Amino acid sequence: MTAVDPTLQLDVVEVPAAEAEAEAQAAPPSDGRPSPLGWAARALAWAFLAWLVLLYPANIASPFEVPAFDANRMSEAVIFAIIGLSLNVLIGYAGQVSLGHQAFVGIGAFTSAYVVTDLTQEVVLGVLVASLVGAVQSLLLGLVSLRLTGLYFALVTLVYGVMAQQSIFAIESFTGGTAGKIAPRPTGFESDYRYYYFALIGLVAVLVVDWRMLRTKGGRAILALRENPRVAQTWGIDTKAYTLFAFAVAGLFAGLGGGLLAHRDLQVVANPFDFNLALVFVLMTTVGGLRNRTGVVLGSLFFAFLRNGFLVEKLRLEEGFGPIPGPLDVIDLSPEFAPLVFGPVLLLVVLTRLPGGFGQLARPFQEWLAGRRFRWIPAEQEVTINDVRA
Amino acid sequence: MSVPEPSTDAGPVLETSQVSIRFGGVQALADVDLRADRWEIVGIIGPNGAGKTTLFNCITGFYEATSGRVHFKGEDVTELPVHQRATRGMARTFQNVGLVKGSTVGENIKSAQHLQVRYGALGALFGSTKASDVERETEARARAILDLVDLGHLWDTRVAGLPYGIQKRLEIAAVLATDPEVLLLDEPGSGLGPEEADELGDFLLDIRERFRLTIVLIDHHVPLVTRISDYMYCLNLGQVLCEGQPDDVRNHPDVVRAYLGIEPDAAEPAEVH
Repeated sequence: MTAVDPTLQLDVVEVPAAEAEAEAQAAPPSDGRPSPLGWAARALAWAFLAWLVLLYPANIASPFEVPAFDANRMSEAVIFAIIGLSLNVLIGYAGQVSLGHQAFVGIGAFTSAYVVTDLTQEVVLGVLVASLVGAVQSLLLGLVSLRLTGLYFALVTLVYGVMAQQSIFAIESFTGGTAGKIAPRPTGFESDYRYYYFALIGLVAVLVVDWRMLRTKGGRAILALRENPRVAQTWGIDTKAYTLFAFAVAGLFAGLGGGLLAHRDLQVVANPFDFNLALVFVLMTTVGGLRNRTGVVLGSLFFAFLRNGFLVEKLRLEEGFGPIPGPLDVIDLSPEFAPLVFGPVLLLVVLTRLPGGFGQLARPFQEWLAGRRFRWIPAEQEVTINDVRA
Repeated sequence: MSVPEPSTDAGPVLETSQVSIRFGGVQALADVDLRADRWEIVGIIGPNGAGKTTLFNCITGFYEATSGRVHFKGEDVTELPVHQRATRGMARTFQNVGLVKGSTVGENIKSAQHLQVRYGALGALFGSTKASDVERETEARARAILDLVDLGHLWDTRVAGLPYGIQKRLEIAAVLATDPEVLLLDEPGSGLGPEEADELGDFLLDIRERFRLTIVLIDHHVPLVTRISDYMYCLNLGQVLCEGQPDDVRNHPDVVRAYLGIEPDAAEPAEVH
């Protein structure tokens, strides 16, 4: 095979009108390089983002004073982003909806706590084992999905999640019963501020793996088989094997998220891993924007902050929550339910107005940060049609 | 593009023997014998509903024949799933354009090279260096294939937005990327005018030479099929109506009758499309 001459693509071939039009869409006129001022603005924006993610949460070079409590909430949000990316692999790439993801995460949490507390191993090892266990249980569930897709598979995952809650989480030696299981933090990351960085390392690792997956054989196979399994097969893609591959990767991420969550909380109890949480996971991923890494991360952060009360506090919305005054005071609106109120509303917006979710909103900024023009990029029209395999 | 050495073993590359399939009470295919020798272009014509695509589905593994066998390169592949037949060098196109339309042109051709990409999908996630080298090769090959069909300039375009004719061309490029030995084309000429059909014919003859392909071709464009085929079958109602040299089949009274429902001397078969 000879190397392709790069000038070949510059050759002007006679193209029919329709084709020329398509070409014009593909390659918008080059908008030139930003001015020095433009570059400076972008550098400033990058610096701000780096400060926001790396320094602000730990009160380094920051005029603000983030309390340890809030740093802990930020760790949770980062871990939610990992879980969102896990669901993105399943829903976004493979087209299978999981309504039992809280069980994946919960089992990861207990596994890591078990390895660290009962087997007295390092936290890093505990988290790695949790990821592997997550991958294995996800693979098993994936086997079911080879027969069932769409709504039916979602129902199976729902049952799996509820069942795990009632059975696995009830094994006292594994979960420590109602008292829960102790999950100490890793050496060097004991404080709430430092643990944030530990979680961040996890998120970066997941982002890198996800990025590599889409750029290699496995990711391409999964994307092809979601949209057109028949064509994928004729290209020699073993659709069953690669569906399982997607499940394994999603389980790996979910297990990692669970492990990190366990050590953040210092103690794991079964209670929070309920169906409510599974719904939040699905909502944050979908509203964030399926198949859009930035969107999924933003969606997850948003819902995590909504759920743990950070947003409610910062935006001074406390009055909207808590017990309703008057005769209805039996109804206590905890911020924990906020995602389930905002979620469906945002979902409606996404389905009708913003098919790319938060990710679509973020696109112009991303373009700008990458040194291109700030411009609105319409979402792909098919996004709602092919999301879930029928 | 690696050119496979033409195998010296004699006998057909692709052969179906007595392939039958029933859907409920409908006999979609009845005892179909089809044979394609190495480097041959075999044409299949027949009116709508004759079972042409069903035959393709049996050959490629989407349908399981009720009875009969499919042999590929001397091996009985009747029981094999689709992707394993693809691994052995069988490729096909679809009537409704077999591409991943939500992806870009470049991604499609890269995905289609799945079998040529030789590294572990799992290892690639965790940074095997081999993967990046192979990926570079894969991309270069994809660009070379696209240039072959004059679509190199569309690399970053989403397939869904492309005109039908371009999608058809791209689909052939994608199956070529799988490095096949046998190409089963399901109506590659649909929607083409006479001149474009002529070009398609030249193109198919050209890729046969270049990639040493055996081509089995379904099309309603009878002049196209007649021109490029070495051997031709006419299917009707799930059975082989007649077979033989293209011109003989085309002018065969049974064929004309099947197509037009009238006696041969009442119409010129050349007008059959």
